[in-house]
Amino acid sequence: METILALIAGTLYGLVIGIIPSAGATTGLVALFGVIHYFTGEPYLGVVFLMAVVAASTTGDSFAGILLGIPGANSAAATMVDGFPLAQQGRASYAISAAVTTSTANGVLWGCLVFLLLPWYSKLLMILGIPELWAFMVLALATVGFVSTSNWIKSIVAIALGIFLGLVGVDPETNAPRFTLGWFYLQDGIQLMPVVAGLFAVPELVYGLRTGQTARIAHNELWLGVRATWENRWLALRGGFIGAFIGLLPGLGGTMADWMAYGSAVAANPKEQFGNGNIKGVIGPEGANNAQKATSMIPTVLFGIPGAPFAAILMALFMYLNFEMGTPDIAADTEFFFSLGFGFLAATVLVAILCLVFIRPITHICTVPYKYYFPFLLFVIVWACMQYTGTLADLAVLAAFSVLGMLCKHYRFSRPALLMAFILADKIESFTLQLASLYSVGDLITRPIFMAVMLFTVGIFAYSLKRKGSIDYA
Amino acid sequence: MRKLLLALTVMLFATPALADYTLIVPQKPGGGTSVWAQIVAAEWEKHLGEKIVIKHIPGARDIPGFNEYHNNLQNDPKTIMVSHGGNGVSFLQEQVDYNYADYDSVGLMNLNIISGIRKDYKAGDKIKFAAGSGMVPEGLAIAQLLCGNLASIDAYTACFKDKVIWVPGMSGGQRRLAFKRGELNGTRENPAAYKKHVESNADAKLWFTHGILQKDGSHADDPNYPGYQFEILFEKQWGEKPDNVLYPAYKLVKSFRDGLQKALWVGKGNPNLDHLRKTLTAMTRDPASVKAIQAKVGDYEWLVGYRGNQQRDTLMTFVTADALKTLVEFNTSAFGLKSVYKPELIK
Repeated sequence: METILALIAGTLYGLVIGIIPSAGATTGLVALFGVIHYFTGEPYLGVVFLMAVVAASTTGDSFAGILLGIPGANSAAATMVDGFPLAQQGRASYAISAAVTTSTANGVLWGCLVFLLLPWYSKLLMILGIPELWAFMVLALATVGFVSTSNWIKSIVAIALGIFLGLVGVDPETNAPRFTLGWFYLQDGIQLMPVVAGLFAVPELVYGLRTGQTARIAHNELWLGVRATWENRWLALRGGFIGAFIGLLPGLGGTMADWMAYGSAVAANPKEQFGNGNIKGVIGPEGANNAQKATSMIPTVLFGIPGAPFAAILMALFMYLNFEMGTPDIAADTEFFFSLGFGFLAATVLVAILCLVFIRPITHICTVPYKYYFPFLLFVIVWACMQYTGTLADLAVLAAFSVLGMLCKHYRFSRPALLMAFILADKIESFTLQLASLYSVGDLITRPIFMAVMLFTVGIFAYSLKRKGSIDYA
Repeated sequence: MRKLLLALTVMLFATPALADYTLIVPQKPGGGTSVWAQIVAAEWEKHLGEKIVIKHIPGARDIPGFNEYHNNLQNDPKTIMVSHGGNGVSFLQEQVDYNYADYDSVGLMNLNIISGIRKDYKAGDKIKFAAGSGMVPEGLAIAQLLCGNLASIDAYTACFKDKVIWVPGMSGGQRRLAFKRGELNGTRENPAAYKKHVESNADAKLWFTHGILQKDGSHADDPNYPGYQFEILFEKQWGEKPDNVLYPAYKLVKSFRDGLQKALWVGKGNPNLDHLRKTLTAMTRDPASVKAIQAKVGDYEWLVGYRGNQQRDTLMTFVTADALKTLVEFNTSAFGLKSVYKPELIK
C-alpha cells in the first residue's frame, strides 16, 4: 500500500512540475532535497517516488508546449512546432492524446529494456568511443537540413547564425572569452531557455495577441490521437530509439534528442508539410524525451556517471537513501532495480491515464481569449528565463531572442534549424578537439561503427541537399 | 506517508522568503558543489534549527556568483557563500572581484585530490589527460614527475608538450568514460569519486596525490593513500626533492584548490558567525550528517571557525610574485590557457 502511495505522490508531483513551463525533471528533483529524509527509513519507497517524479514530469511537459506554445521543458520545444498549431485549430485533445500515447509507449518500451537488461549495457558503452560520438554529432548536424524551410539561402543563414550563437562563451582550448562583446555574462554561453522562449514562445504570444485569436475545442478527439499514434507507430518508435541512444551517452542532452527525432520525422515524410499542425510532427519527437530519461539511467546506475543533469540530482538524492551508484553493491541489489523499474514504468502508465482522463478540462484553457492569459503567459516566460541568474541580464537575452524570433517568423527564416544548430555547435566543437587530440586518420578508418555512421551521414547530407525543405514553419 | 504528503504540499508552495538563511552557490543545480551544498544544507538545518535555502547564481567558471556575493551580499547577515576549489584557482589567475581576505570562514573541508593512471601505461607512452583550468595542479605535477627538476619554464613547456596530450573540451562524465575506455590514460577525482571511478576499475591504479595541507603550510602524506604524495614520488623517482621553477606555482595552485575545496564564508563582522560556527561544529560531530557528506566527498576533516580563517591565512603566504608569474606563464605556454598576472594579490 505504501508503495502505491509513494507512486501516486511522485506521479502527481511530477505531473505538476512537468506542466509548469520551463520546470521539468531537474527542477522538480532539486526541490526534493528538503523532503527526501522522510524516506530514509524506507529507502526503496524513496526510489519508487523519485522515479515516478522523473517519469511523470517527462510526460507532462508536452502540455504547455501544445496548449500555450511555451515548452514545459527545453526538450519539449520540438513537439510544440506542430502541436501548438493543432491546438490553435481546436485540436488540442488530438495533439495531447497523441503526445501522451507516444510518450507512454516509448517510456514503457525503453523502461522495460533498460531496467530488465541493465547489466548488459556496460559493454555497449565501452564500445562507443570519442570517434563514434563525434560521428554521431556530425550526423545530427546533417539532419538540421531537414528542419529547414524550402528557401535554402534563408535556411543556411539560420544555421550559420545558430552555430555562431552556440559558440558564444569561452574558447574551450584557451579559456579566453569568445564573441561576448566584452559582456562577462555571456562567458557562460547563451542559455538555452531564453533562446527557446525568445525564438518560439514570445513570437507566438505576440502573434496571438495581435490577431486576437482564440482557439476552439472543436471535438473531443482523444481516441483519434491514440489511433494516430498507432498508425504512425514506426515513427514513434524511431523517435524513441533516437532518444534512447542519446540518453545512453553522457553529455549529448535531451534537447538534441527531440530535435533529431523531429528532423527524422520530417525527413521520412518528404511529401508532407510540417509546422502547421501535422500530427507526425508531434508523434516523431515526443517519445524521444521519455526514452532518453530511461536510458540516461544506464551510465548513472552502472558507472555512477550521470547521463543528464536530472540524473546528477537523482544520484545525490539516492545517496541520501544510502544507494551509491556505480558500485558493486548497487549492481547486486535486486530490490533497488525492482523499485527503479516499478517507479518509472508504473508512473509512466499512471500519468498517461490521468492525462487522458482529464484531457477535456485541461484543453479548455485554449478557449480562454488571448488577451486574458497573455499577461499570465508573459509573466511565466519571464519568470522561467530569470531562473538562470535572476538579473536584468537574463531579461536582456530574452528580449534579444524575442526580437530575433519575431524577425525569423516574419521573414520566414527557419527557427527550428537555428535552434538545432545552436544546440549542436559547442558539442561538435568540443568533440572535434578531443578527436583531433587523441586519434589519427589511420585510427579512425579502422573503426567500423565510426565509418558506418560517417557513410550514413554523407548519404543523409546528399539527400537533404537534393530535396527541398518541407517544413512549413519558420 | 501523511508526513510526506504534507511536506510535498509545503514544498510546492514554499518560497525563498520563508528561509532564514541563504546559501549562495555559484553554479547551476546538478553541479558538484551544488549537490554538496544541498546535502550540507539539509544536515545543517537539523542543528541550526532554521531553514536554509540554496540560491544558485551560475555563470562562467562559477565566478559571477562569488562576485555577486562579494559586491552585494556579503553584508547580509543571513547570506552564506559556498565556494569550491575552482574559485580558488580563478582567484589566482583570473580577474575576479572576490577576495578571501575579506570574509570570515564558517567552515571548510580540506580535501586531497587523487590521480589515477591506467595499468597498461608504460614508461615512454604519452600521458593523455583531460585539460581545463581545474586541471592546472595536475598538469604542473605531471610536468615535474615526468621531467624532473629543470631550470626554466621553456624547458618544462617543451618537455610537457613532448610527453603529455592535454585533451580539451571534456565534461566530467566524458572524462570518466574516456578513462574507463582507455582513451585517456590518466585522470583525477575527489576522494569519494576516486573510489567509485578509479579504485573500482580493474584496469586502473593509484598514480599520485597532492597531500593534505597542514597548519604550518606543509603538505602531509594522505593516510588513505600512503606513499603516493607528489613530493614523495618525485624524490623516489629522481633521487632529489622537487626544487625547480614550477614547484612554488604548483604548491600555490594546489593549495588554493584543495585547501578551499568546499568552503562556507560570511562577511566580516557578521553577528551570526558564532551561532553558525557552533551549529556547523555540531553537524560535523553528528555521525549521520558526517556519513551523508562523506558519501559525496570522502572522509576528510572539517576545519570550523578560526581554523578555517587560519587555513585561509596560511594559503595567502604562498602567494608570491615568482609563484604567480610562473603560474601564468606556464598556463599560457604549456596549457594554452589565457591567465592574468595579478600583482595586487602580493602583500
